[in-house]
Amino acid sequence: MSFLKMIEIDKAFFGKSANTKVNLTVEQGEIHALLGENGAGKTTLMNILYGIYQADSGSIELEGNPVQIKSPKDAINHKIGMVHQHFTLVPTLTVSENITLGLKSPGYPFVKRKQVDEEIRTLSERYHLAVDPTALVNTLSVGQQQRVEIIKVLYRQAKLLILDEPTAVLTPQEVESLFDILRRLRSEGHSVIIITHHIAEVLDLTDRITILRSGEKVGEVATSQTSKEELSQLMVGRKLQNATKSKLPFAYDTKGFEVSSIIGAHEEIGPLSLSVPPGQIVGIAGVDGNGQKALAEIMLGIRKIKEGTIALDGQNLEHLGVKQRRSLGFGYISDDRLLDSLVLDMDLQENLLLTKYRTTDCKKHHLIDYKELHKQTEQAVNEYAIKTGAIEHPVRYLSGGNQQKLILARELAGSPKVVIACQPTRGLDIGSTEEVHKTLLALRREGCSVVLISSDLEEILDLSDTIAVIYRGQIADVIVNEGDVDLTYLGLLMAGTVERRNA
Amino acid sequence: MNRSTRNAISLVAVGVFVLVVSLLLIAMVGSSIPKALSSFLRGIVGSTYSIGEVLVRATPLILAALGVSVGFRTGFLNIGAEGQIYLGAIAVTWLGMTFPNLPPVLMITFALILGFLAGGFWSVVPGILKAKFGLSEIINTIMLNYIAINLVGILVRTSLKDPTYPYPMSPILPESTYFPMLLLPTRLHAGLILALVCAALVYLLMFRTSTGFCMRAVGLNKRASICSGISVTGHVVLSSLISGGLAGLAGVSEIAGLHHRLIEGISPSYGYLAIVVSLLGKNHPFLIILSALGIAALQVGSMAMQRSSGVPTSIASIIMGLLVIMILARKQLFGCKEE
Repeated sequence: MSFLKMIEIDKAFFGKSANTKVNLTVEQGEIHALLGENGAGKTTLMNILYGIYQADSGSIELEGNPVQIKSPKDAINHKIGMVHQHFTLVPTLTVSENITLGLKSPGYPFVKRKQVDEEIRTLSERYHLAVDPTALVNTLSVGQQQRVEIIKVLYRQAKLLILDEPTAVLTPQEVESLFDILRRLRSEGHSVIIITHHIAEVLDLTDRITILRSGEKVGEVATSQTSKEELSQLMVGRKLQNATKSKLPFAYDTKGFEVSSIIGAHEEIGPLSLSVPPGQIVGIAGVDGNGQKALAEIMLGIRKIKEGTIALDGQNLEHLGVKQRRSLGFGYISDDRLLDSLVLDMDLQENLLLTKYRTTDCKKHHLIDYKELHKQTEQAVNEYAIKTGAIEHPVRYLSGGNQQKLILARELAGSPKVVIACQPTRGLDIGSTEEVHKTLLALRREGCSVVLISSDLEEILDLSDTIAVIYRGQIADVIVNEGDVDLTYLGLLMAGTVERRNA
Repeated sequence: MNRSTRNAISLVAVGVFVLVVSLLLIAMVGSSIPKALSSFLRGIVGSTYSIGEVLVRATPLILAALGVSVGFRTGFLNIGAEGQIYLGAIAVTWLGMTFPNLPPVLMITFALILGFLAGGFWSVVPGILKAKFGLSEIINTIMLNYIAINLVGILVRTSLKDPTYPYPMSPILPESTYFPMLLLPTRLHAGLILALVCAALVYLLMFRTSTGFCMRAVGLNKRASICSGISVTGHVVLSSLISGGLAGLAGVSEIAGLHHRLIEGISPSYGYLAIVVSLLGKNHPFLIILSALGIAALQVGSMAMQRSSGVPTSIASIIMGLLVIMILARKQLFGCKEE
């Protein structure tokens, strides 16, 4: 008898089907992967299991008994726990306070905190989840926070753990230790479902795999009897064409984009130097939160520096604001589309206008020429194959991939000289990721200096000519990428555990 | 049920609900409902004079609400239109008393410019405080209301006082400050034209120029504006200036078109009503004209109702409050989401 059975689950949002007759079976003591592209319906299915959404039809059985899960509370009562992609911790509370949040702990309302801490310590030792219960959450690294989330679920006696994209924010070493923890949980008889689109991880960790595509189950395979090729074909529905980087047959003789010995105004960055010649992609690898965003914003002029120089083709521009730098040919793809790049309540045209309004080609007698703008927007929509109901729809209603395409259309218009791409494929499905990669490589061919900031190592390795590893606001080392990069060394650099080799 | 029918139904439901409550209130104070209703309607459209009264009342509401809407669109929540109206009124009074011999064309031109600047000054100060230091414009504009209202109180007792008259008010201003009358014998004056022209200008500014576009972008998403190189500080300050300036024009219009002298309480809360007008008009200049007319009609009608059937005007305030809450909550109550 299976531990969990989800049978013929149907769920539609606003008439659009997110899950169509999906079946999922998970055995006890099994690590089960839910594999699929973004928007394939993985998270929806798990949110139904966790009681956040209700299925339109279909049923759920736990250990052979049909159950109704109407809320996360019901799910917890049925010993199901979920670790969300975005953590749900209160940063100003301690680990143990976070873990017991919402529970009546011993001694309530005067909680015996020491006793609780002791319980948590026992639990964390048992599963090798080393965390100090008395530490404040805002002092913890992302990997540690994830452990807290897992303990939180275990503390509520979960037998089935759901992890949504658990490796997205971890270093290679942290991923390995997370996998160890999950294997240990399996050996203790827990069942684990991980939602992911990383095929390599799936092959490494899981026992069985259910693959979803456009809301439908397209296959269920045992991990031992499948291959990378089969999985990716099932997942995407076609063979993938990896964007390939070929050596440029010539070199540009301009200097390109250079930052030297910069120190951020609040010392969040630096001292840091980096040179991005034209026609090159410099990948900035590193674990999230090591100053990547600050570096991107300093490069664009959103943040100020107190020392150092920033130059484009020998022209100093550290004193210039965002507006002037953009007019010199800077493009910026932010990691936070919704906040930094789009005005969600404006339509496609006006979002393009955000940087276009300075140029004269959409203006007539000092007034915005909406006819011309409409024409140009249509052009961009066609060129980048943006799927939208109408150009006048607010971009709020575009999917993540289409939003990103719109941003690309805007930021890469008019052949920019420098493009700063910060996590440009985060949250995108494989198809859109491929598009973004092709676009970046096309920029490289055209002689653009591309800064690619990403926590996805594979992306960095695939695209970059040079890899700079950022750790605590400084460049730990710069490695020329000719396809033979020492991954262990890279991982250690990212974790800040080695000094640079030849410094 | 599709969205537009649901929308229509919800509007009708709000209308019916508000109507039922108003009828209950009228019945509660013991008046005859048919008589109250007919005097309400006659007060609004019963005669040329009553229509003129509605338009006279709508004029300052349109101007001040336009100002409020420009601020709201940029994320500058200007609660200080009341004070800015008073500043505009002080400006025109001072001009009229200090240079009584200017020819009318110059006088009116200067009055408009000065009134705009005075109201704008009263709003640009909190604007700068917000943009530069992140201080709450809500608190600061409200506080400046108190200062402005009491400043008028002081001025009409001291430097702007009519020495020949025992009451705290300024002397009657020279005729060169008067706006032309439009529809004698009603009190309708050229302020209405000023308001309509301003509405058209605000529309052009906000929806057809790149400055207006930047202001709206700043109001909707500051971060995205910064990242695309749009100056948040500059546009917030500019919008606060225009916002207060338009309210200042409302003050000029009230003095030059209607009262012809500065007295305490020339604005019966027009500045606060303007916020309601702007909200009901979805911060859009043309809808603001409609909602200003609606609120003005409600007020004028209820005053007529009080005169001829003894229903207190406070009912109008209750209805207005109810109406605003119902319209704001309509989407949630009736489950029609904005497209």
